[in-house]
Order: sequence, then C-alpha cells, then structure tokens
Amino acid sequence: MLAALTLESLNPSVDARSPKVRRAASRPFNRSAEDDLRLAEYTPAGRMIDVEEGRNHFGRRALLKAGGFVTASGALGSIWALVSRTGTGGAVRKRARWIKVVDRPTLGEKTAEYKRFSGNDMFALYRPLKIQREGAGSFEAEQASKAKRVAAWASEKKPGYSLPDIQLSEGAWTLEHSTKPGTGLLSWTRISVRTPAELGVLRHTASPEEMASMVKSAARLYGAGLVGIAPMNEAYVNLQAPREDEKEKDKDIVFEDVDVPAVTDARFVIPRKMKWVVAIAIPMDLDLLSRTPTSLGDAATAMGYSHSAFVVASLAEFIRGLGYQAIPCVNDTAQSVPFAVDAGIGELGRLNKLVTPEFGPAVRLCKVLTDLPMACDKPVDFGLVEFCKGCRKCAEACPSRALSFDDEPSFKTKGPWNNSGHKAWFEDSYKCLQYWQKVNSGCGICLASCPYTKGAQAWIHEAVKATASIAPAADGAFRIMDNAFGYGKQHNPEQWWRKDPPSGGRG
Amino acid sequence: MTNGADVFTIAIRKRPWWFWALAGLWLLFEILLVQTAVASVEEGEYRAATISWIAAFVLAVVAALAWLRGNQAHRPSEQR
Repeated sequence: MLAALTLESLNPSVDARSPKVRRAASRPFNRSAEDDLRLAEYTPAGRMIDVEEGRNHFGRRALLKAGGFVTASGALGSIWALVSRTGTGGAVRKRARWIKVVDRPTLGEKTAEYKRFSGNDMFALYRPLKIQREGAGSFEAEQASKAKRVAAWASEKKPGYSLPDIQLSEGAWTLEHSTKPGTGLLSWTRISVRTPAELGVLRHTASPEEMASMVKSAARLYGAGLVGIAPMNEAYVNLQAPREDEKEKDKDIVFEDVDVPAVTDARFVIPRKMKWVVAIAIPMDLDLLSRTPTSLGDAATAMGYSHSAFVVASLAEFIRGLGYQAIPCVNDTAQSVPFAVDAGIGELGRLNKLVTPEFGPAVRLCKVLTDLPMACDKPVDFGLVEFCKGCRKCAEACPSRALSFDDEPSFKTKGPWNNSGHKAWFEDSYKCLQYWQKVNSGCGICLASCPYTKGAQAWIHEAVKATASIAPAADGAFRIMDNAFGYGKQHNPEQWWRKDPPSGGRG
Repeated sequence: MTNGADVFTIAIRKRPWWFWALAGLWLLFEILLVQTAVASVEEGEYRAATISWIAAFVLAVVAALAWLRGNQAHRPSEQR
C-alpha cells in the first residue's frame, strides 16, 4: 500500500524539459536582475528550480501524505541505521549495513569498447572547443571579460566575490597548485622516507587483508574520508599526462616490466607489477560548498584538492617506507571515478560523478598506485541508481543545463570529454565550464543540491539514506521532503566569515 | 482515584499493547524531530530546523490532547 501511495501520488515525476519552467521564488541574493539577464541562457530558472507548474506542482494533500510516509519510513530507517553501523570492509573499517557489497558496479561497468582515455581533460579541451564553436578570439574575449568582472566584483565587495573571498580560495589552492605529476609532493619515487634497506630491516610482509587494513588506517590518519582498494585496470589509466600549457609536448603514460616507476622528458613509466590502487575520497567542506557558486564555494574544492595532495603524498611515502613502490595521483595519470567505483567508495550518479553513501558527491578523489599486495574491495549498492532515476534535483539545479534529464542512463556520450564504453548519465562539460567563466569561479551547484550531500549531525539523514537503500518506493517522497526542508539552497556567503569554521575545513 | 468518605479507590486501567507501541513510536518521533532541529541549526539548515521544531511541537500537542481525551473517556465513576 505504501509503495502504491508513493508511486502514484507522491512522485513528482519532474519533467524539466517542459518549457513551463517557473523561476524559483526568490532570486539568489548575490545576483542582481542584471546578472540574471546576462546569465539568462545559462540560468533559465535561477539557482534552484524547485517548483514546476501543472502536474509537477505538489499540493498540500500530497505534502501531507509525503510527510506521513517519510515520517514512518524515517522512524523505521532510523532504527535500521542506528543498529546497523556494524558492517565491515569496504571504504572504511566499519560501514553501515545498508551499504551492500556487490560483485559488479551498479552503473559504469565497462564494456570492451572502453579504451584508455586522453589525459587532456575538459580544462584542456575547453579552449579549442570554444574557438571551434564560437570562432577565433572568442576564448580570449571571454577571459578578458571574466577578468574585468573579477575586478569589478572584488571592488564592489560583492558577497562571495570580495577580495577576502577570492584570496581564501587562492590560499586553499596553494598545495594543489604547487604539485605537478611526477615531481614534488607527487613524486613517483621516494621523497624523504627511509627505506627498510636503510633501516637495516626486511620489507614488511603480511597477508593481503592485513596490508589492506594497515593502508586504510594510514590513509584515514592522513585525512582520507573514505578509502578502498581496487585492482589495477590499465584501461582507466590515461594515455598521456595532462599538459600544463599548449607549448608542452604530450607525455605518454606507459606500462612496462620494470621495478620502479620512472618519469622522463618523454614519458611516464608505470611498472606492470603495480596491480593495486588505493582509491581515496576527501570530503569537502559543506559549509563552504553551500555558498557555491562563489569564491567561497571554490575554496571547498580547493581544500579538497590540497588535502588530496597531502594524503596521497603521505600515503605513498608510507608505502615506500614498507619497502614497496607507490605512485601518488590526484586528478592526474588515471581516471579516479572508475577506480573509486570498483573500490566500493560509492556509485556513479546522475551528475556523472561519484556519489558516496556517507558524503554524497561532495568529495574530491585521489589515488595511489602500488605494488603492495592488498585484498581488494568490491563495488557497493546503496540504492543510488534507482534514486537518481526519479530524482533529477542536480539536473534541475544546474544553471547551465549540463546534466542529463534522461530517465535511464545510456551509452550516448555528449562530447569528446566523455569516455564511451560504459553506461552513464553523461554530462555536457562544455556548458558546465562555460558557466564557470560567467560566475568567475568553479561551480559545484550539482554537488550541493544532491539529496545525499548532507551534514553528519542529524540522524534523520542516515535514516533517510538507509530507508532509500531498502525501499526505493520512498525515493519520490524523500525528494519532495528534501525540497520542502530547503536543502540544497545557497547559503549567504557573507555569513561564513562570522562563523567559527572547523579545524581543517570539514564543516 | 476517587476520594470516598473513608476509602480510597485506585483504578488501574490496563492499556492495550498498541497503546505502548504508539507511545514508543511517538517518543521515537519526538527524539528524532528534536535531534533533527538541533542538528539542522548546527548544519546551517534553518528552514529544516524550523520545520522540525514545529513538527515536534505539533506532535507533542497532539499527543497531549489524545492523552487527555483518552483519560476523560475512561474516567471511572465515583464510588461510595
């Protein structure tokens, strides 16, 4: 009965392709009417599009039904969630039981068509695509216009874009900006750790399970939110190293039967004996992320990447200190998402990013490739794909309309930034990056709006996630309640400076 | 309990099992709502906090009214 109630009367079945998209009740406070006009093609419905006309407008009766259903589900889910935090394995030592371990990924499983991808990601592709689509000089004009806006917004102290806001973000980027694959923190060889030979001992040996457990503990200590072990899949490793600028030559990334990793002027060499990947998720600061798209929101991303650099560098040194080889990577060298899916850190969601059960998509991913033999984890299923099929909140919230509204994931890619050969809700990264230029910062609205992106304080969030994992019939009601409770809306950037941020930025 | 001339009569009414089940569920909801309200303030989700406080208050009032009404309906007649 409950299932029928939810499916027939509660599911909003939002058809956001409808032309009748009503503007959200209030314009984001940090955007003027003029900005709205300028961004009209990118933000057809403002920051959040949470109400639509016609059949999508849920009435009081539906809301009451949803409330009753969710309350009952929440109560049952909370019991389930509270008694179930004794699971084992996976991305942390103890994980909730409602996160089921499965043999194959729920989404994103690769076919034979999946090939190694170019290291030239969307950031490298954006300029040539812009010129190809909008003509010579369009990229430079856009950047000049952006620079003027940055100066103007900083001068007028626009909330979220004032000089302190910008520099908070710049400061947070420092560690990440000072890294480069193969050098410094991301060195492919030992930085300073003393090897077992130098200490006069044999290298550390233990069972693969013990090794995995030890590595996870170390990673957690260094700052990882979630850690999992995946088997090496060469198809996930990029063909070339990302270029810093167009003048540089592409450096091939190759696998060879060598003992130690090597970085030369021409190529990066990964030893074939590196058969394990430690996949790591670094949680982003939700307090900052909730202020996106501003420089403050960008600071959440920056902190995630800078933390990533520290974590993988430290973990790689730890592994080298045990007597094995390790290659620390942030976004470089290999695709982080498929490794994270295989390692059971999360599932692939509608925003075509990893969604973790604990932190939602508000994580930054990094990894360490190694020859340290470890027991591998398996993918997980916590009901995300079913949830995403009916949700679409991220796609509706996306101001650039870059995310898919399709009912089902497909093999149909959206551009050269997508790697074919797997099913997904592919995104239009060109539109996404174009919006980044307009708002003078990274975006991340999709991350902030996802119903799985929640703080850890309220028990109800765990209860809802637990219930969604076992009762997909409740998904529609949860989506309605997520909107009704106001989650995913932008928080006031000015208020951040009056808060007491948590140490290390994990609020 | 009625106050007679020289005796006190204590009426102990046995509640059905579902009463205790409902009471337990009610208590669970109350705890959940109050915890959500307090935690939502910490998370900066003020709308969620407000809704949770209101829901907790309404649930408490409804429970109080139900309790009073139930007691009135089953008030034992005075005995002598």
